Amino acid sequence: MSARDRILQNVRHGLGGSAARDVTKSDWIKTTHAPIPAIARRNGSERTTQFLNNFEQMHGTYSKLKSFDELPAMLSQQLRERNIGQSVRMGPEPDFSTLDWSNMDVSVGPGRLVEPATLTRAFCASSETGTLMLLSGAKNPVTLNFLGETHFVALKSSEIEAGFEGMWSRWRASGHTPRTVNLITGPSRTADIEQSLELGAHGALAVHLFLVDDLDTKDAT
Amino acid sequence: MIQHPAAKNFPKNVDQALKNETLQGTLRQVSGGFVDSRATARANLPEFDSLRDAARYMKNHTLQHLDLYLEEFEQAAKNAGGHVHWAENAKDAQQIVLDICADTNAKIVSKGKSMVAEEIELNKALEENGYEVVETDLGEYIIQLRNETPSHIIAPAVHVNKKQIEQDFRIAHSHLDPDRSFVDSSSLVREARHVLREKYFLADVGITGANMLIAETGQSVIVTNEGNGDLTQSLARVHIVIASLEKVVPTLDDASTVLRLLARSATGQPITAYTTFSSGPRRASDPDGPEEYHVVLIDNGRSKMLGSDFQDVLRCIRCGACMNHCPVYQAVGGHAYGSVYPGPIGAVLTPALSGVEDNKHLPNASTFCGRCEAVCPMRIPLPKMMRHWREREFEQHLTPAAMRYGLRFWAFFAERPKLYHFCTRWANRVMHMSARGKGRFSYLPFASAWTRYRDMPAPEATTFQSQWAKNRK
Ligand code: SF4
Repeated sequence: MSARDRILQNVRHGLGGSAARDVTKSDWIKTTHAPIPAIARRNGSERTTQFLNNFEQMHGTYSKLKSFDELPAMLSQQLRERNIGQSVRMGPEPDFSTLDWSNMDVSVGPGRLVEPATLTRAFCASSETGTLMLLSGAKNPVTLNFLGETHFVALKSSEIEAGFEGMWSRWRASGHTPRTVNLITGPSRTADIEQSLELGAHGALAVHLFLVDDLDTKDAT
Repeated sequence: MIQHPAAKNFPKNVDQALKNETLQGTLRQVSGGFVDSRATARANLPEFDSLRDAARYMKNHTLQHLDLYLEEFEQAAKNAGGHVHWAENAKDAQQIVLDICADTNAKIVSKGKSMVAEEIELNKALEENGYEVVETDLGEYIIQLRNETPSHIIAPAVHVNKKQIEQDFRIAHSHLDPDRSFVDSSSLVREARHVLREKYFLADVGITGANMLIAETGQSVIVTNEGNGDLTQSLARVHIVIASLEKVVPTLDDASTVLRLLARSATGQPITAYTTFSSGPRRASDPDGPEEYHVVLIDNGRSKMLGSDFQDVLRCIRCGACMNHCPVYQAVGGHAYGSVYPGPIGAVLTPALSGVEDNKHLPNASTFCGRCEAVCPMRIPLPKMMRHWREREFEQHLTPAAMRYGLRFWAFFAERPKLYHFCTRWANRVMHMSARGKGRFSYLPFASAWTRYRDMPAPEATTFQSQWAKNRK
């Protein structure tokens, strides 16, 4: 008998057979068992405001854009303000590759050892905690999320969900099966030294969001 | 679980911990920081307690169907291209990891924080087999340099102060400018970041633990703040996840319930900076990520706990709230327990994993104040389970003779209520008068172990029973 079979046998033995099982597994999936907190049920502009407040609370910063066309100029301005060279690393994300990057040194590919600035496209977000959801893949290499000293992220307002539940539904519906689903809420941090909070432990030192406001034409509710 | 001999020496360890001024200084920060932050986080989420009920219900259901959910997880992980291994005990788990490392021709292994890795003494096994192991979580890195074990499940280096870390870094990073100054904590963090960054790229294998395994999707989940776990798993050629059986949850929605409780209970954050769901190796078109993904499912005593008095402890999500709020932990820190899991969770889990005989002191390291159960997000009845262990200890004649005689002595009186009231009335009076109106004793014969560190409260002049009888009239 394999280790697997012995372990499963011991588990079944411990549980005393299936008679003790209260709810069947398939019934479980069909039912909602936990309350969805009020903070995870906001709609419309209230949701965007909540998202940005929470994002800032977790030490993220943001700029609002009217369309993706403004992204190169806004990114350039951010790099200047942060004393970072006019250079950025990104993936072959279609929302970025059609833009005019002629004023900036853009390189495309996964993250390298030294990466002052990276840009990735979020899949969606949750206003409950100010969290971004990013999917790894060819268009947005996962290492860009963690190796960039300053991690720039782009997101549309209509992609902000109210809570975890909304993010999961959107992801399930998309049919994407990435190797990693990354929930990111602000820059990396540690309190391992005398419990004092320090930003920039191993991942990004700063996370800046470019929020493309598309809610005038589209209702997020 | 591999036995840590120091658990046998708990009373001696406690004595040393209480005399250790550096430790006492760092412990004061635990009770302040974590406790206050959790209280604020809880107050900010009105549904917190209903979520605790839901999490308890969800995990009970999962444990009741554990075999089915493990099989479902295994299938989903395999569908995503992952390999799933099963380990009955610590040795088997070590061997599985060693075999994967050998197949990969690995030299350097980077590691994210994992309590189960501590439990199975994975670093020791890897190092004995010639691998360079690099702990990448800052706290774990610090204690690796100091050749110590974690003293807290979420803050492994909570017992070390800044000055000590500075000294450790100067020795370990001797290639850096010896005249560099560490003005604040952030300069230490920057240095560790710089030194470890290169290691992620050099590592052949990256090992992480798992806060959860999701049966629905076959994903392993890590909940972190530093980002080291992500660099560990994304830059190495092979990603190995080590997880104990009970980490499985049915669906993504069930994971949400845990996520809403975990960080709030642990650090008081609404969510940590990173929550990462991983499944399988990099996809065909991915430019980065590991080429192989392995999950090692570790039993190591868990299956025996199912159906026993200790099944409920398998609901634990390792948030550390029970130890943050425990007056014993706050006084002596994690190392005194001499077990991988300190505090109330360790007092219940360690004897279950490696026997009550060698760990009999741990369930006794409690004042039974009940704070651990009151704050546990998974509503685990820790005091009740400690009592079960104490009963077993007594039944197996492991309790010291003095305590057994003491209990018998007390039982003699307790079974004779009149005699009991008569004696306690007089004892109270005598003790009350001996305190000379101060209401406490700074010294008591036969109780110096207590009075050396704090005063013993003196009883009121009359007993509770006499006051009750008087006030009812
Ligand atoms: S027993 Fe409860 S409080 Fe303690 S670590 Fe586990 S889940 Fe957290």
